[in-house]
Amino acid sequence: MSETAAKTFGTISEEAYRDLEEAVGPENASREPGVLDGYAWQPTNNDHPTERWVKRPVAVVLPGSTAEVQAVVRACNRHGLKFKAFSTGWGVWCGPTYDNVVQVDLRRMNRILEIDEKNMYAVVEPYAIAAQIQAEVMKKGLNLHIHGSGPNCSPLASATSGWGVGHDSIYMSYSPRNVLGAEWVLPDGEVLRLGAPGSGLGWFSGDGPGPSLRGVMRGSAGALSGLGIFTKCALKLYNWPGPPRIETEGCLLDARSEIPENMGFYLCAFPDRASFLEAVLKMGEAEIGYNALRTATAAYLNVMTPRLFKRLTDTKAIRDLMGKTLEYTIMMVLAANSREELDYQAGSLLSIVEDAGGIALDMSTQKPFVRMALMGFVRATIPALVFRIGGSFNTALDRNDALDTQENWRDACLAIKEEWISKGGILDDMGDNPYYVPYENNMWAHCEVVYQFDHRKPEHRAALEPIFLDFTIAALEQCMEPMFSSDPRVRAIIGPLAGGFNRWQREVSKALDPGEAADSTLYCGEGAFDLSAVDGAKVKRLNELIEKLKPEA
Amino acid sequence: MIAPELKQKLSAIVGAEDVTEDEGVLSSWRSGGAVAGGEPAALVRPSSTAEVRALLKLAREEKLNLVFSSSAPPRLRGDSVPAGEGIMVDMSKMDRIVRLDRRNKVALIEPGVTFERLIPEADAAGLKVLMPLRPKRGKSVLASALEREPIIIPKYHWDMTDPMLCTELVFGSGDLFRTGSAAGPGSLEQQWAAGGAQKNPMGPAQTDFVRVVQGAQGTMAAVTWCTLKLEVKPTIHRIWFVPDRKLSRLSEFTYRSLRPKLADEWLILNSYALAALISEKGGEEVDALAQRQAPWTAVYGVSGYEYLPQERVAYQERDLARHAQAAGVVPSPEVAGCSWKGMERILSSPSPEPYYKTAPRGDFLDLFFLSTLDRVPAFLEIMEAEAERFSYPAQRIGAYIQPIQQGRNVHVEFTLYFRPADREMAQALFLSASRALSEAGAFFSRPYGPWAELAYARCPDTVAALRKVKAILDPDHVLNRGKLCFEAREVV
Repeated sequence: MSETAAKTFGTISEEAYRDLEEAVGPENASREPGVLDGYAWQPTNNDHPTERWVKRPVAVVLPGSTAEVQAVVRACNRHGLKFKAFSTGWGVWCGPTYDNVVQVDLRRMNRILEIDEKNMYAVVEPYAIAAQIQAEVMKKGLNLHIHGSGPNCSPLASATSGWGVGHDSIYMSYSPRNVLGAEWVLPDGEVLRLGAPGSGLGWFSGDGPGPSLRGVMRGSAGALSGLGIFTKCALKLYNWPGPPRIETEGCLLDARSEIPENMGFYLCAFPDRASFLEAVLKMGEAEIGYNALRTATAAYLNVMTPRLFKRLTDTKAIRDLMGKTLEYTIMMVLAANSREELDYQAGSLLSIVEDAGGIALDMSTQKPFVRMALMGFVRATIPALVFRIGGSFNTALDRNDALDTQENWRDACLAIKEEWISKGGILDDMGDNPYYVPYENNMWAHCEVVYQFDHRKPEHRAALEPIFLDFTIAALEQCMEPMFSSDPRVRAIIGPLAGGFNRWQREVSKALDPGEAADSTLYCGEGAFDLSAVDGAKVKRLNELIEKLKPEA
Repeated sequence: MIAPELKQKLSAIVGAEDVTEDEGVLSSWRSGGAVAGGEPAALVRPSSTAEVRALLKLAREEKLNLVFSSSAPPRLRGDSVPAGEGIMVDMSKMDRIVRLDRRNKVALIEPGVTFERLIPEADAAGLKVLMPLRPKRGKSVLASALEREPIIIPKYHWDMTDPMLCTELVFGSGDLFRTGSAAGPGSLEQQWAAGGAQKNPMGPAQTDFVRVVQGAQGTMAAVTWCTLKLEVKPTIHRIWFVPDRKLSRLSEFTYRSLRPKLADEWLILNSYALAALISEKGGEEVDALAQRQAPWTAVYGVSGYEYLPQERVAYQERDLARHAQAAGVVPSPEVAGCSWKGMERILSSPSPEPYYKTAPRGDFLDLFFLSTLDRVPAFLEIMEAEAERFSYPAQRIGAYIQPIQQGRNVHVEFTLYFRPADREMAQALFLSASRALSEAGAFFSRPYGPWAELAYARCPDTVAALRKVKAILDPDHVLNRGKLCFEAREVV
């Protein structure tokens, strides 16, 4: 057990633990220190400067049904405990932030409850993972949005409680816009079903009657269990023009998949920012594309061949080639229901790229690459490789909006990263490492910028908070309320500048959680950056921006 | 009538010329749709967000009931008919198209902007407004989106908020709040300077209050502007009709076609609804036209855009023809009394005056709800049985089925056309059918008037949660009291 985990060791009364055992069965509850430490070890996206543990829960429970979740939440209310739930648990935000937290691990609730093929939705439980759902719905010619954290993650979690961008967003949108109904155990233990299911009428609509409580459930980010626990959710399904099963041997970079008919793969490169943006806007207006991902060429090498990448980046000529020659690229995957449709999509794409002065490489002629990468596109298997180069990473989340704003954000983040790469504060990934995807026929877009670090290096750990502050300042410069404002430090700065959303979230929390049973730090907690070691000019700029952006009284 | 002191206070906010107690002005808010009994005591016309905020502040001090309204009469749903006495807040003076952004395909509009005004301006910019079916001429575009009226192009209806994006709200508490990427930091001008276009409807942060305000019938907040998603205007656009005897075949065709996002416009009408839509003269012509139609007709549009428009239209028409063949239906470029060009005009413009649904008999009532396409036949049977009970001719029920959310569910709308003298009978049929349909599983997601009781009786947990939210956003119940599941408190 780490020193911090020991310090934050909380206790749970015998009576409270008995109630938890009663709620889920003794075999599904634990307060064994070793088990609890397993839950307190949260290295992913953990930017704590000294270690990677979070608060140790006082107990862990594994409910198997909505009724059991209710019983756990009610027990927490009775005994002055807090609860913190997670589904597949990808990231530090899944761990407790208080000393008296019961960790609710939803892994036993892993069923696909219904697939409505005609009306294109599936009803799932929290631990039904994307790969599992996709495999089932593809048999029916359907697919689902898989967010960038990959196929082993819970689509319910991102749709109800987290974020949810993926490189299929051009065709399948953003996770929260894919909700058709949800079952929600409120922090007081009551169950609320959103939309038509709340009236017992099926899972086809998540809004109404009247005002939609989906607007309380979450915003562009979710409440991260700070407002209760979601036990069921109806997710939209989308057309899948490929085969019922993609025959694949091997996995990840060794995968070799059969390429479905009526799919196209194009790597499009543009001479500059203006031509790139113009082309992406036109692609949206032509309504083409099934997957679209803009990332840097260097980022592909970084995740695929990290050792080689490290060696290559020592060579200036190669750096320039990878960094500048192919700076504005986007990978477009086309999928069509007929040959004629594919011809239209491919023809439009090539014309758009040509008009913009770019080049389009038809990657389907590069069979080995496409066979390897297919599941990376269709099942989002590749992003998890981001851990390879240094063991950990963090990401500067943007504020989704017009395509231009995302390019501005990428430029700003690149400058910040270059500063910290030169100082040795983060790993050298050549700076440019965006995860840029357009949504809904390129109506708006997302760009987050990944930075990788090695937690074993003290200089990397020390840089994490100052870098995060830099991104916060950059967000203010661009009038953005970034998707990382679930962080209490950022919320405290940006909330008052953006309608006082921090205040409204507190009000919602108070109304729905009178017993303060939810671990709501990531929903309404507020904190402060440690500015003691920060460059004075940056602190000055931060204060100037806060003053400049203050809303009129 | 309101007290002279109150009139003075209202005048101090909006100007004396924009406060009226003229019965001729107020009378349109006495009834609407199936709702009657409104007692509008006065009307004010604010011209800015600051005035709206001042009105809310006054309302809290004086315990007023403010009922916001943006569209011209007739009142079709009754949401802006006060439950008892109320002060009408007519937003039609706030009618600026603040920004029309071709690059980002977005418009920023105030509540008083009507379809009639926005359509030509968008068109001149090469853009298309996402419209409901044949809105009334004076319909506020913002109000239409705010009330989640279904748009006729399902593929652009990704989520229930569409086409509304960001909003500026004044909550019942008087607080100003902007939703989505408009929330800031920074003013609109500062955001524009940074490249922002108020495109992202979600947020700020972990809230999504635009969803709470949509469908709320003005009970949570006043909306002083919104951004609206527009789409690019096609370079080629064709309309097809698919008349058929059986709804089941058209449903099959619809399911097959919407899944791969084929086609633009897509709607299904029965013979009477189609006749009412296409009739130019109204009256008996509608009956005659209806007799010349197939029992059901699907209408769809196919578009080509800037790149390879012919190829796009060609593949879509080929794929749609394949689906039509598989479903056993045949597309046609015309139906009796309407060419595809005529339907194109109808689908892209508001209704002429008087509103087209009044043309067949002089009065009408709409009964609509959400469901899935495969469940529609059961609702039809119920509607016809109810009509029979009231001796209303089944062949004069208009039925309009609008796929939404890219075909995952449908807006089902039955229209009863009747002479004004028969309103009592029609209203009784309307209420009885509403109850029967609700019991059979119709989801009244926009519960106007008597539907509120039916809808909320089914979901007490939703009611409890909504009341908590109402207490946060409109703690003194100054907004449209007595609507939805919110109890009326004090009146003026």
